[in-house]
Amino acid sequence: MNICRKAPRSQNITEKVKPEHLALLVKTEWQLSYVTPLYQFRHTQLKTYARQLSAFIAAEKQQGLAVEVGGLQNTFKVSFSVLQGLAETNDDPETVLIQVQSKPMFARQEDPPKTVWSGWLSCINGNPEYLQSLPKDFTCLPLFCSKGAEGLSSLVKSWLQRTFDCCFGPLDINQTTLQWLAALWTNCHMETNIQKLKMIWTLPVVPPLQVTYTVDSDDALELWRSTRESSAEKSRGAEDEVCIDFSEVTRFMQGLMSHFYRHFRVDLSAGELNQVSSALGSAKLNGKIKISSSRYLISIFSLLTECALLKMPI
Amino acid sequence: MDNLAKHLLQRLMRRIPASMLQSTLDKWGRLTAEKRKSLDFTQSKLTITQELVALCEESELTVKHITELEMIYDAHSVELMQFKEQFKSHLSELKRNVSVKIKKHTDEAVWIRVAWGDGLSRPNHLKATYVVHYLQTPYVFVNALSSKNKPLLLQALTLSTKHQQIKAANLSGQKLTALRDLLMRQYQQVFPTKYPSPLPESDQSISKLRIEKVQAEASANRHRMAGETFGDGMLPALQSAFFQLETKFKDPTNEAMTQRDEPFICSVKFSSSNLLESLRHCASSGIASTPVTPLLSSIPLKGRNYFVITDNVPNA
Repeated sequence: MNICRKAPRSQNITEKVKPEHLALLVKTEWQLSYVTPLYQFRHTQLKTYARQLSAFIAAEKQQGLAVEVGGLQNTFKVSFSVLQGLAETNDDPETVLIQVQSKPMFARQEDPPKTVWSGWLSCINGNPEYLQSLPKDFTCLPLFCSKGAEGLSSLVKSWLQRTFDCCFGPLDINQTTLQWLAALWTNCHMETNIQKLKMIWTLPVVPPLQVTYTVDSDDALELWRSTRESSAEKSRGAEDEVCIDFSEVTRFMQGLMSHFYRHFRVDLSAGELNQVSSALGSAKLNGKIKISSSRYLISIFSLLTECALLKMPI
Repeated sequence: MDNLAKHLLQRLMRRIPASMLQSTLDKWGRLTAEKRKSLDFTQSKLTITQELVALCEESELTVKHITELEMIYDAHSVELMQFKEQFKSHLSELKRNVSVKIKKHTDEAVWIRVAWGDGLSRPNHLKATYVVHYLQTPYVFVNALSSKNKPLLLQALTLSTKHQQIKAANLSGQKLTALRDLLMRQYQQVFPTKYPSPLPESDQSISKLRIEKVQAEASANRHRMAGETFGDGMLPALQSAFFQLETKFKDPTNEAMTQRDEPFICSVKFSSSNLLESLRHCASSGIASTPVTPLLSSIPLKGRNYFVITDNVPNA
């Protein structure tokens, strides 16, 4: 994991990405997984893939595999599309969106089909060295976000695995990443009001104790700034390229925990940080993420792409 | 016990309603706790009367004692009746179209159900407020009360309980019995002692044993202090505690923040299926340093779980 990263900047990406696509991605909680590079995946074959996945889901349903959505009468329609504009570098492949819609068998013609499952594969600011090192036939879209019935998630992953010879695994957001997000979101308060920084810890006692520590955003920012100023090598000049070091993140978290300790004499590091949230989004230890503002979508998903790439077997 | 006394007792028992029986006998105090416990109040009145007569005979009570019991019942029922009437009339004066139902349970608790209407509409029984008042205590527990009706209800309660003032206890939770037990300290308390363990013998053992001994002592101390702060055994089930912190940031390693004049605004919420047991375990396991900070010990000591902490008043 990078020990030094650029502060996320507010980016207006509505120029690059269609607003209706952005609307699909933000303000929704996604479950994260990582996936190994896809063999012989073609962005030009999306209609074929949609047909094949539809057929696969129908076949699995007939075999009695529990899909739980709606009822046995439902027909599922699958669509694959490209979410243009999210790829940042030349090496990033374009993001692919998969949606599963369901229509009850006896529904009227005018009734619109309901989207019961969505997922997307992406690679945002992926490490160029790694991407360029892959053999020609492999497409790397390591970050997989899904939302909807667990049964459908398994079916979609299962189909992708056998069609593109790839492997899926859960992408847990670990303590380090959660701390990064706490610091990065606080940093964003300089540009965009994050309202509050909320952190949830669990302490290993019986019965388990949950601690929700919510800090006013202006005060969190002042604390963050004070931990950065104490770094000797900061150049006061171009803030654009200013790098944030993980040691600053650690000092920030320690400041928060020491204020807590002063009052309660409870050591939060004895527990586990489970969740971090602000007006910009929320992230949970079990790999669930929600981005509430499209302005920071690219930054946060670059961080997550990095986490996913770290899970690659080679 | 002569026939007159028996007759008086039987006649009195017909007057006393089942819900007031236990508390009236407790107040009377002429039967020992053991004898009172042996009475099964779930039986029919007739059976209870027979058992009571037998107990009174055993204790060799006389007519004088029975008339005493009658006076206590009369006073007790007047007290309850007065409270009921006063509460209903005060509340109706303050607001038209309220429906009030009052019932006394056997454990000294008076339950009040208020359905609120206003000048134009009938009382809404789907969103009733419940109030529980334990007679003889200064505590009232309220559920589902809107901010609009709050001042009216509190005023009616203050007047009918003949108090001057009512204020929030800053204690809330899901289990009425847990809140009651916490406030009235009806759980196993542990009292601090000056010499908790026998004086140590002089120890000539090797250093490993000494380390274990020190660790064991530290652990025993933590357990003891945890018990003294929170209590022993089963603790009342509180679900959460909330602290609004408005104190200055003080950290010797961070000069910039320590020199700030403004407070560092944040809030902390502790939640658990049984908060007091979790906190006790924090103290006994060392996750919370002992002695336990006043912020946390205030929860059981003061019987509250909502606090605003500022620099001027450390325990607001």
